[in-house]
Amino acid sequence: MAVRLMTRLLGLLRRSRAAAELDEELQFHVEHEIAANVARGMSPGEARRAALRDLGGLAQTREAVLDVRSVWIDGLWRDARHTVRALIAAPSFSVVVVAVLMLSVAASASVFSIVDAVVLRPLPYPHPDRLVGISEPTQENLRPTGRDLLVSPQEFFDWRDRQDVFAGLAASAWTEITVKAAGEDFPERLPARWVTANYFDVLGRMPLLGRPFTAENEVQGRNHVAVISHRLWQHRFNGDRDVIGKPLPGQLAAFDIVGVMPADFRDPDDTAEAVQVWIPFVPERDARVRGNDFGYYLRAVARLRDGISHDHAQSRMNSIMADLAVDYPRWVKGRVARVESLHASVTRGVRTWMLMLLGAVTCVLLIATVNLANLMLARGWARRQELAVRAALGASRAALARVLMVESLILATTGAALGAAVAWMSVGYLRSSLPMDLPRAADVAIDARVLAVTMGVSVGIGVVLGLIPVRQFVGAATSSILVGHQRSGSADRTAVRLRGWLVIAEVALAAVLLVGAALFATSFVRVTSIDLGLDYHNVLTLRLRPLVRPTDVNPGQAPLLRALERVRAIPGVELAALAGNGLPLRGDLRTEDFSIPGGVADSDMALNQVSPDYFRTLRIPVKDGRVFSDADVDTGQQVVVLNEMAARRFFAGNALGRTIRWRSYGARTVVGIVGDIRYDGPEEPTRPQAFIPIVQTTASAATLIVRTAPGTASVRPLIGRVISDEYPAGAVAPLNIEVQPLEHYFSELVAERRVNMRLLGLFGLLGALVAGVGVYGVLAYLVAQRTREIGIRVALGARRSMIVSSVLALTARYVFAGLVGGMLVAWMLSTLVRGLLFSTQPHDPVVYVVVGFTICGLAGLAALVPARRAAGVDPIVALRCE
Amino acid sequence: MAKTDLLQGTLDLLILRILALAPNHGWGISNRIRQMSKDGLNASQGSLYPALHRLEVNGDVRSEMTASENNRRARVYTITAAGRRRLDAETRSWEQFALSMKRVLQRE
Repeated sequence: MAVRLMTRLLGLLRRSRAAAELDEELQFHVEHEIAANVARGMSPGEARRAALRDLGGLAQTREAVLDVRSVWIDGLWRDARHTVRALIAAPSFSVVVVAVLMLSVAASASVFSIVDAVVLRPLPYPHPDRLVGISEPTQENLRPTGRDLLVSPQEFFDWRDRQDVFAGLAASAWTEITVKAAGEDFPERLPARWVTANYFDVLGRMPLLGRPFTAENEVQGRNHVAVISHRLWQHRFNGDRDVIGKPLPGQLAAFDIVGVMPADFRDPDDTAEAVQVWIPFVPERDARVRGNDFGYYLRAVARLRDGISHDHAQSRMNSIMADLAVDYPRWVKGRVARVESLHASVTRGVRTWMLMLLGAVTCVLLIATVNLANLMLARGWARRQELAVRAALGASRAALARVLMVESLILATTGAALGAAVAWMSVGYLRSSLPMDLPRAADVAIDARVLAVTMGVSVGIGVVLGLIPVRQFVGAATSSILVGHQRSGSADRTAVRLRGWLVIAEVALAAVLLVGAALFATSFVRVTSIDLGLDYHNVLTLRLRPLVRPTDVNPGQAPLLRALERVRAIPGVELAALAGNGLPLRGDLRTEDFSIPGGVADSDMALNQVSPDYFRTLRIPVKDGRVFSDADVDTGQQVVVLNEMAARRFFAGNALGRTIRWRSYGARTVVGIVGDIRYDGPEEPTRPQAFIPIVQTTASAATLIVRTAPGTASVRPLIGRVISDEYPAGAVAPLNIEVQPLEHYFSELVAERRVNMRLLGLFGLLGALVAGVGVYGVLAYLVAQRTREIGIRVALGARRSMIVSSVLALTARYVFAGLVGGMLVAWMLSTLVRGLLFSTQPHDPVVYVVVGFTICGLAGLAALVPARRAAGVDPIVALRCE
Repeated sequence: MAKTDLLQGTLDLLILRILALAPNHGWGISNRIRQMSKDGLNASQGSLYPALHRLEVNGDVRSEMTASENNRRARVYTITAAGRRRLDAETRSWEQFALSMKRVLQRE
């Protein structure tokens, strides 16, 4: 930027020096000429006049020479100055053009920054096309819509032993560590990954400082080492190069820092939150053997061996899975190993969504472009006389084209620059409204790449728009424009027809956007109004998970129960409960193996350990029998409560009084049935669930669930105080020391739908407004054109209502044509987003009817002013003005 | 347009011819043209300077501000190698053209 400015200034300096030298040169000429003339016998005055006359005027010659010297650039500069002056003189035109461009560029730059960061950019590793992700979906669900593509450790180790198609096969798993150095008040939670020793090797990125892990670190006891992110290095260690070998003060044990990754390193699992720490993955024994523990929590990443194709790797993995299925039929049954590019695996589940957003915003940009084309046509028409005068005075076609081009380029770049600024200011908000688990979302930013694309597109639009009036008016016979000023020439008729088409296109695009907006809004409303079977409003939650070192005495359940009692006593708390195995909507739940005497053998279902008020706190209805009370003590009758689905599935609805034998919790009598809840959120199916009293277990970790009276924010800090009282500093995992409303988890679950509804809604609104402006512009123009005709009709006795209805009929022609086209396109496109909708049909007739009426209504509004103006035409004035 | 081009081309040719003899400044060139005008050639001084600068932009001549008498500076033009080549080529084509014209006109 600065460099360009300098060059520009230097150029100006050079030019002014050239001009000065030219003056000197001409002065020299004139003086000599005068002297020569005097020598020929003229008087001094006469000699001077003759000299200047022969030269053809000093100023004229000077201009002529400067013209020769500065062909194109200076002309551009001059045109630009003229144009800016002309644009300032026509503020309403300029403001509308720039505002429309600004809004659409801001929208597209923001959306493009998201789509680019999440989907379009290649992964930041060397030879990213050689990296693959391997997952093991079940055969019924080969293309899971969810984002988890996880592998069990047992499978991973067998693959690693048997494969010969990958240069390296690595795995990583989600974890987090909390660090707290002596003297720090609050511990810090850091997103982390367990990784195999070859992880960085496979990705092809090495630490900036220190070393990656070695196979030795994969051994229990030698695994207290960590590689940290550049960011963590900067903010916790001030970028100190002596950091290698220093401890990272984890709460349970310190990790020795062995490496620092470069600033541009990204973990494939980075979401809105970037991974800060990598620690070696050392699986427990039961994750190594194929016993009863099933767990799918690894992300497998591999680099293809040179010369091995994806297909080859896939067929090799198929045969390995076939072998494993023979060796461990209970394990591998129904699962396939799917090899896909790492990029595809990272962006799975969000690609369609991202492309939909990109498509929608392209629509916005198209509408804006079409609208601007329309405005430029009008402007070209208004300027045609000026252009004709310029042409008559000898401006070449190219010079005229340049004038028009400069104008549209100035408008386009101004709009784009403002739009980029708006996008830059709003991208932070946009990023924070994205779902937390959106891959690579942390990198969403208005950066050089986004700016380059935005500017490129805008300048492209500017050039195209500049060309329209060039074609329209520059070629036209200039004399006819000069002579037949207001009368319609053929250029005029073409322009009107073209403008009609443009308005139709605008209406069509607006219809497409509005249909999209309506579909996504309907989906969002349906998702949020679905009955979850529980009430998540006014509920606060807090995970209590004491960290227990092997040497510590387990605090047991006592502090949990004491904390529950004290929280219950806080004013504003209506109910409070504990849940040991997970919280609805938070995405965690454990399943337990059970069998039923005389019924199902060897099955499993979700089981939670809860305190008596759990059901009342979450407002889960009791359908039959009873739920737990304080009478259910650890020594009492061993009981279980089922949800309706479990009762139906395992006892054919007749469960009360029956016995379930749990692998970990013994035989228990079913004492009650509660309503089903959508545990995993509105879009996930209900599943069978069982509940047992938490006091009949040894659970020492739980989530505290608190129902508060509405509007009692003061409860939060009080809860926090009780907890820190009950658990001395450092004993409670600080993970959720902040109280989290249950509503927050729900809101995370519907975040994607909310983003869609808001963005599409915004785009639809923008599109409709711009289209409305377009309709208004053309009608106003047509009415102005026909003032005389209307005057004659009124003079001949036409009623005002007839005039109005003729204007409206004109409107209807454009609007219906656009509407029909737009609806057809929307009809076809909407099937592409079927997967993104929730219990909403892409061809829901209500949506189309509502959109149709909305657009007609808007068009009616847009036509109102021109129609009134037409109705108000005074025949005498109209006829006199010609 | 065609008429101006012809005139322009002729003027360029004259300038190059004059400069091929010796470097000169604008007024000197105009003086030479005036002398030639007596031979029936008529070139206005007004188009001289634009033509000179155009030639310089084209690279046929180069110029330099040099000190002259009583502390004035004059821009002195020198023909370049490219200018000489152009002069040769255009002289030849001009002679060819003139010859052709002459033949056509004398056939009557």
